[in-house]
Amino acid sequence: MSASGRQGQPAGGRRAPGRLAINRLRERGPLDPETIDRFLARHGAPIVEGERATFLFRGEADEVFVRHRVVGLPDPLPLRRIGDSDLWAGTTDLPTGSRVEYQLETRHGERYHRFNDPLNPRVANSPMGSSSVCAAVGYQVPEWVHHDPEARPGDLVEEVVRSKALRRDQPVHLYLPARFSRAARYPLLVVHDGTDYLGYTAMKTVLDNLIHRLDTAPMIVAFVPPRDRLKEYPNHAPHARFVARELLPLLTDRFPLQDNPAGRTLMGSSFGGIAALSTAVRYPGLFGSLFLQSASLVFTDIGTDHGGGPFFDPVVRFVNRYRARPSAPVDRIFMTCGTYEPLITPNRSMVPVFRATGMTVKYTESRDGHNWENWRDQLRDGLSWLHPGPQLFVYE
Amino acid sequence: MTTILLGPQRFQTTATTVLRSLGTDGPVATINSGWEEREDVVDELDAALDGRAVHLRLHHRMLDVLAKDHAFASAALAFRDRHDDLLALYRLRLHHALDGVYAVQRRVWSTPGFGVGFGAVDDGIEGVRSVDRWYLRALRDLYGDFAAHSPIDGSGVIGWHRGEIEAILAHAAALVMPGGHVGTLLRTLRLFALRIPDSLPVIAWSAGAMALTERVVLFHDHGPEGASESEVFDAGLGRVRGIVVLPHARRRLRLEDRARCAILARRFTEQHCVLLDDGTTVRLRADGSLPAGARILGVDGIVHEVRPR
Repeated sequence: MSASGRQGQPAGGRRAPGRLAINRLRERGPLDPETIDRFLARHGAPIVEGERATFLFRGEADEVFVRHRVVGLPDPLPLRRIGDSDLWAGTTDLPTGSRVEYQLETRHGERYHRFNDPLNPRVANSPMGSSSVCAAVGYQVPEWVHHDPEARPGDLVEEVVRSKALRRDQPVHLYLPARFSRAARYPLLVVHDGTDYLGYTAMKTVLDNLIHRLDTAPMIVAFVPPRDRLKEYPNHAPHARFVARELLPLLTDRFPLQDNPAGRTLMGSSFGGIAALSTAVRYPGLFGSLFLQSASLVFTDIGTDHGGGPFFDPVVRFVNRYRARPSAPVDRIFMTCGTYEPLITPNRSMVPVFRATGMTVKYTESRDGHNWENWRDQLRDGLSWLHPGPQLFVYE
Repeated sequence: MTTILLGPQRFQTTATTVLRSLGTDGPVATINSGWEEREDVVDELDAALDGRAVHLRLHHRMLDVLAKDHAFASAALAFRDRHDDLLALYRLRLHHALDGVYAVQRRVWSTPGFGVGFGAVDDGIEGVRSVDRWYLRALRDLYGDFAAHSPIDGSGVIGWHRGEIEAILAHAAALVMPGGHVGTLLRTLRLFALRIPDSLPVIAWSAGAMALTERVVLFHDHGPEGASESEVFDAGLGRVRGIVVLPHARRRLRLEDRARCAILARRFTEQHCVLLDDGTTVRLRADGSLPAGARILGVDGIVHEVRPR
């Protein structure tokens, strides 16, 4: 399993004490506001001690909950009031290396209110809004995510492609690596949900850094956003035609690309993973590799009750059909999935199915959920496996 | 013939002392085309060579050739594509062959007495050597096709550069070859058909040292995607014989993994696998053999020193 970005200790080097801080506070007896102030100032929130995390809320409410989407933990996770004070707390398991996104929810009578943890400054953003982040001991944001002044930046240009298949103008952000040269040949990566990858995984910065560090080959990347994601991504013929028959020829014509399947990779997360896989299945042999992150590989073994709602119907039909007659549309797949997300079981289940077709599959898991920072943290492993940089060649 | 191989120079610069120890006067030719677009950023190198450096600028010359000789540029690009295809197939075969060797070795080493006398590991390694030989044969054929169909020797611009390079080397008191991208370095050496006169003393480190050997072996156990198998890349200049050069060995190899190192050493058993770490100086003997004290990887997977004769 991969442990990318999960080495080392979080800031402050938190260690497991004999008793939890919240229990030591509770045993002091009646709590005055100043004592609670000092406690919060000292520990922050949530308090991570060994493999336990204590979530806190301060304020008046009838009930307080932690809301999250971690498979295996109760949701909602209730907090309890500490004595007669206005401090609420709840402790749960948090294995080493974990990273969890959550919000708090209060109930006042019939009214429920959900919000980010006001005691925790750490938030993650996504198209759905922001969430608070709780990082366990052993989790660290990979250093290659941050801007490196020594890494020469590539160019990002926005273009519009007239698509007959989609019957519209399709915007595309094109990444050209630093030191781009027409005398070289570059692999091509097509990224579904391209705007979100740029916005929520800092993928341009990541590419600049990974290329600078020789981890990843200099490559041309097409970041493609959807218009109607739920329609276009689950096995949609016009979308596949756009990628394979319009975008790829256009880019091959304009840029010095490695003109063979090994040089072409489709990438996507969640529904975008299905878009990548279904495009490859519709055009077998055209692309050499897939980079699938928490792909929505939901299927049923009998019946149609998949539990995902109507948006998943075309996904399930596609995956069921694929499972009935598995094929090898590409040579290599790099798959990642978070162990705390509902898609972990379908993803694990698909690994042997893919491998049985003869494709080379590298599958990694992280102690994280269905979110963009998890997908960001796996970029180095995936990109360097699919298109390794010249490290093997450089001996300074 | 004087040839001196050094450890990496970034953290411990020994090139200055070693150059002075040659007792030569006059210009020192350098080949640093492995630095690619940084080839002309030579302040530190100039200082290390006492201001005597005359840079051959092979990378710059290669770009000039690519810009001016379109027939060659097109043929070179086609060659790169074919070489990439070959490398992809080689890596596939190599990884499967090595996986087999590791699996057999694990079983044999973990169970005392098991499999003794069958020679399963040796035979497996012979299979890996066979893959290496196949790759080098196919690569030689590729070069043959390229030479037969592309106009290198008839190219005016290439000929002009070759003439200049030859003239510089003819007046050089020594040649220095630093590190960098060994693939680019080899490509430029091949393009300009560089021949180093036996009488010219050579000091080389890292990729430069690799390029002097008969067989360039790429290795990196600590890449971002974990252990990558060592692979034969190309033939070098062949000035240094019977040696596989392993620069940055401590940084790049899992030297503590005796089993893995043993297979590496046994795979290239006809050569000495020489470790070139920081501070290393290996002054080859007159007959080209290794001096006493040179550190080599033994077939037992342990680092040894060459004994005095």
